[in-house]
Amino acid sequence: MAGADSPSAALRRRDLCARGIRLAGKMRSDVVDLLDAYVEQQGLDASASVAAVEGVPPAAVERWDEQTGTQRLLENLAAYRAFRGLLAQMLEEQREQLGEADAALGRALAAVLLQVSAFAYHLEELLRLESRGPPTDEGDGPPPQPQSVFEQKLRGLGVLRELAQWAVRSARDLRQLAKPGPGAGSAPSPAESP
Amino acid sequence: MKIWGRPKDSGLVESISLLALHLLEGDFAHSFAVPGWIGLALPCVKMANPVPSACCMVLAAVVVVYAQRHSQPDSHTQFERVGADVTMKCGSMDWDAAVTWTVNGTDIDESHLNGSYLILKNVDLSQSGQYSCYEGSAWHLKYQTTLKVGTPPREPVLMCRSNNYPKGFYCSWHLPTPTYIPNIFNISVIHGTKEMVCEKDAVPKNRCHIRYLQLFSTVKYKVTLTVTNALGKNYTTVTFDEFAIVKPDPPESVVAKPVPNNPRRLEVSWQNPSSWPDPESFPLKFFLRYRPLILDQWQHVELSDGTSHTITDAYAGKEYIIQVAAKDNDIGTWSDWSVAVHATPWTEEPKHLTTEAQITETTSASTSSFMAPPTTKICDKGAVVGSGAVAVCWTAGLVVAAYSALFI
Repeated sequence: MAGADSPSAALRRRDLCARGIRLAGKMRSDVVDLLDAYVEQQGLDASASVAAVEGVPPAAVERWDEQTGTQRLLENLAAYRAFRGLLAQMLEEQREQLGEADAALGRALAAVLLQVSAFAYHLEELLRLESRGPPTDEGDGPPPQPQSVFEQKLRGLGVLRELAQWAVRSARDLRQLAKPGPGAGSAPSPAESP
Repeated sequence: MKIWGRPKDSGLVESISLLALHLLEGDFAHSFAVPGWIGLALPCVKMANPVPSACCMVLAAVVVVYAQRHSQPDSHTQFERVGADVTMKCGSMDWDAAVTWTVNGTDIDESHLNGSYLILKNVDLSQSGQYSCYEGSAWHLKYQTTLKVGTPPREPVLMCRSNNYPKGFYCSWHLPTPTYIPNIFNISVIHGTKEMVCEKDAVPKNRCHIRYLQLFSTVKYKVTLTVTNALGKNYTTVTFDEFAIVKPDPPESVVAKPVPNNPRRLEVSWQNPSSWPDPESFPLKFFLRYRPLILDQWQHVELSDGTSHTITDAYAGKEYIIQVAAKDNDIGTWSDWSVAVHATPWTEEPKHLTTEAQITETTSASTSSFMAPPTTKICDKGAVVGSGAVAVCWTAGLVVAAYSALFI
């Protein structure tokens, strides 16, 4: 297997990053459309502030420019794995609440869930290329269930907003990763263990 | 007479009056003991004659009058609203004291006085100035104030923008109408529960900048600007997402050139705005618009990468105007349009030959008696056509004709 720094690995990394950037761009566009539809369908105020919701990985990061490539990949992977569970839960709740009343919203949710899963897989491929291998997907169990329907709606709003931010962050992270030179994949620090 | 320095304490009038008194009494020894004076040299002091001379008396009187006229009572400043009625008291003078008021050195008519009070009704901006009150015929200055007429501040206009994402953003502000008096601006920036520091720019003064501590946050920023002056206070608040205010500066160094042997092409190139710190990690996309000068409708092209583009559908021979705008690939809004550049596609007939033929034809038609010799270069200025070239050729023809007349 080619080393992480071999020319073929570098080419492969660049190719995966380019495709990942396109995937993140498409995902963001779909998430923004889904967010608009969700706000309207759920009768929410689009400008409402939603406090940090338990189980939703925040995209906000300090000293983003100082992160190593491996840190970026690991944080992204952890986030998208979490979103996979959250979106699956949202889909289930939406079907329970509305049944077939709003099939379009359900289809849009399912499409985004598929993109999130694909992106997570993409990130795993990149981590394998870093000769690290992705951490096992043990997770922390299913995300906590909101108590009330209203809480479900607010959490859904928070999930989609945060996912839209992550899609932008992921594209930026992959561009950093695609740059030639150091920073694309450094030796992992003790804090990065899965 | 030499006078060195002035009293360090206030009480100039008292010191000078005391000094004058000593001089008048011939008490030259005590004149030096007047508190606060560093030194006073008088020709009179040298006189051993204890009887005050006439010159000393005159001198003392002059000193006293000088002190009284030029001594400075405490200076006041008062701010009043446009349209207000203002009453000024002459310091501690009684209402029935005989006084004279001046504004900027000009006497104020007595019709504005109520006893010793100055009454200004419905003041306007032109009435700002220095008002002085003098006692009686001695012109003893009793009170002085600077009146500044203005208005309380209206709600300020505040704008925040990031043209150097992801480094930070800046906020700038102005008042919709002037207040005509000094204003103080205070700005606060809150992100979630954190208060952030907005560092004021030296230039311009109505701007400050903030460094991002976090990126990709869904928490909104809340910026409040408060403006205060002596007549009132006002404020405004703006709230925004990190992405919403991202707006690059326009592209720089836009250049448009014809493409040789291609009458319908124009090659356009530009550079990223120099204020955008990391175009590699945060690439920009561009919007190009172009139209021939003779038409109003723009053509548009959006370009997701690269800093050049070839227009392939230009009208042959027509001059074009071209502009470019920029936007972050993922977030924010489009920049303003760049400076416009002009270009004309390549044409088969070189422009200068066409121009020369036109000039020669024009010259033949209007200068039949004074034909310029064919080697005259004055008219051969490339793009110069029309009446300007005719005038130049006419002049050249006259000069040559005059020269010929002299030497033939």
